[in-house]
Amino acid sequence: MDETVISGRKIYKIFKLGEERVRALNGVSLDVKKGEFVAIVGTSGSGKSTLLNMLAGLDRPTKGEVIIGGNHIEKMSEDQLVRFRREHVGFIFQAYDLLPQLDAIENVALPLSFRGMGKKERTAQAVKLLKQVGLEKYMKHRPTEMSGGQQQRVGIARALVVKPEIIFADEPTGNLDTKTTIEVLHMLQEVVHGKGNTLVMVTHDRHLAGYADRRIHIVDGEVVLED
Amino acid sequence: MRFADKAGMAWSSLLRRKLRTMLTVLGVMIGVASIVTMMGLAEGLNRQSLEMIEQFGGLRTIEVREGSGNAAGTTGGTADPTQYKLSDSTMQTILQMEHVESVYPTLEFKAIIQSGPYVLDIFGGQAMPLEVLKDMKWEFAEGGWPEEGDDLQFVFGNLVIEDFADARGNVIYWNTGKVVNVDMMKSKMFTILDTDAYEAAKSNNNQGASTDTAASSTDTRAAEAGADASGDTKAAAPPKKYTIPTAGVLAGELDDYNEYSWYTYCDMDALIKTYKKAFKGKAIPGQPVRKNGKPYNELFYSKLNVIVDEIENVADLQKEIGDMGYQTASNSEWIAQQREQSRSQQAMLGGIGAVSLLVAAIGIANTMMMSIYERTKEIGVMKVIGCGLKDIQQLFLIEAGMIGFAGGLTGLALSLLVCFIINRVTGSTTAVIPYWMYGTSIVFAILVSMLAGFAPSRRAMSLSALEAIRSN
Ligand SMILES: Nc1ncnc2c1ncn2[C@@H]1O[C@H](COP(=O)(O)OP(=O)(O)OP(=O)(O)O)[C@@H](O)[C@H]1O
Ligand SMILES: [Mg+2]
Repeated sequence: MDETVISGRKIYKIFKLGEERVRALNGVSLDVKKGEFVAIVGTSGSGKSTLLNMLAGLDRPTKGEVIIGGNHIEKMSEDQLVRFRREHVGFIFQAYDLLPQLDAIENVALPLSFRGMGKKERTAQAVKLLKQVGLEKYMKHRPTEMSGGQQQRVGIARALVVKPEIIFADEPTGNLDTKTTIEVLHMLQEVVHGKGNTLVMVTHDRHLAGYADRRIHIVDGEVVLED
Repeated sequence: MRFADKAGMAWSSLLRRKLRTMLTVLGVMIGVASIVTMMGLAEGLNRQSLEMIEQFGGLRTIEVREGSGNAAGTTGGTADPTQYKLSDSTMQTILQMEHVESVYPTLEFKAIIQSGPYVLDIFGGQAMPLEVLKDMKWEFAEGGWPEEGDDLQFVFGNLVIEDFADARGNVIYWNTGKVVNVDMMKSKMFTILDTDAYEAAKSNNNQGASTDTAASSTDTRAAEAGADASGDTKAAAPPKKYTIPTAGVLAGELDDYNEYSWYTYCDMDALIKTYKKAFKGKAIPGQPVRKNGKPYNELFYSKLNVIVDEIENVADLQKEIGDMGYQTASNSEWIAQQREQSRSQQAMLGGIGAVSLLVAAIGIANTMMMSIYERTKEIGVMKVIGCGLKDIQQLFLIEAGMIGFAGGLTGLALSLLVCFIINRVTGSTTAVIPYWMYGTSIVFAILVSMLAGFAPSRRAMSLSALEAIRSN
């Protein structure tokens, strides 16, 4: 199982703010193997989120290549990117970002409805995943009726429901207390090791990065260390 | 993404902001209601004017009279002098033409009716086949149509009584405003069919009294009159008088005006039978004669009434018959004028209503824009987790369409209510919303709303997912 799923080649990202140019990424190269739990670690403003967005196909690099499963992400049109994300990628957000008018089941089933799956089928899958993340009692709850930890578990279920090849998570525990953070990280570890998913997580916390199989340290838009 | 899912999402996001949704719907409702009500008013006015035309003698009728043939371009010199007159064969020819539903003839007759000191001059009496008259389904104030084969009897329109004049020819009603003391059904009335002789006699002996004294001795039936019809004498012999019974008087007050109000009717067959006896060997009044003064064998009608299948075909058919050399008349020009007028009325009134719908459309665009700003994050998340760009756009279009549908439906209901009230208050059908407008107004409201939602929906589609999820 040494297959490379994500491969970044000399990624540059330069933001123009009026006259000023911000080099958010300065020639980053990295590889992520299948079934790996990788943490991107760095201080605030080091370019972690920017890198994750490049790898996930949310943004295009100024220069360089991003290859996922043999596809050149940086060359895709917006439409193609949406389709790509729909088919291959799951996302976990720092602020959970569930849809407030939908209950837990509907939130988890949402990505499946984007794929055109019928209601019965997608509800069944959503229920299955909510059980896996331990939320059988909160199926009908709306986001406002759940704690942050519960919401993030719904978020994880939503990312997993599409059976993605890769999961991207940007500070998934950023809004949670220590105890819940550890619960969530254990859950993510389980997902990767149990199901063979690939997970790329961004964090500024070296301790949390310890839960990952491998860490990529970033300083000022450059990879300084992998361990 | 399935349509039902998109509709469900659109619906739930509308429910999330109930008050705002309701206010937006209210705007559309008022816009639709004002357009539909205005159009309903215009339609009502249009129908009223068409009804008026109907009263003046039908929307689908062409009156054909004998022509000189000029229109056809042929010179009448050598041709048959009866070519452009209206015979049974003319009637058949017209009946064969396209769009002709039926044709019936009218023979116009003249008569003078005397009752006491009063004189009634009938110069446009309408003799028609009895079944045609019965088909008119007119209502009677008294009496009814005669039966087939009866001797000549008259049926008077409700206003004929206003035509009675005194011996000098002054019409009583117009001069005094009073109706003469004659009962059309029961009063004794003497009828002169030979109006030419009557005129001649009147101008010859100005005493006038002679006719009155003669009246008492000439209470004869038409049958007897034929016996000594030797009216050839140059001496102005007083014309024969007949007692022709009244079969009925048509319904209507003295201020009710109808297509029949001013006319006197009778069965054409009965009239001809009477005429033939009264004018033995001579031409019936109004009929043409040959060069040698002898009458033709066939009967020529005064006019043919052509009933056309559709109002739209009246003008064309009229032209076609006119080109054959006959004189024609119809209400088609008037109808066209009326239609033109009501169309511009409708456009004007509809335009006034359209302004409020325009305002409503701006309201929709505004609401959608607000909703997109509010849901920027949400839209971004949906995009990130794989919602297609087209689906996002359609979500907002469906939302706008739903607002339009709700507004259209309630607006239609409101305008039906308003029209009902208007009609109640005015006591007539001033406003009419035709059935086709039901569906059209709702579809229109949906289309306008979706159009208003189009720019916002494009905006939602082109929102950067990244910007969206970053905004917090
Ligand atoms: N859209 C943008 N426009 C301009 N500059 C940007 C933009 N996005 C990021 N940057 C800049 O790029 C650099 C890296 O930003 P990034 O968000 O990747 O940092 P980060 O490592 O995720 O930090 P944090 O831990 O605070 O989230 C920062 O200096 C930031 O100001
Ligand atoms: Mg970040």
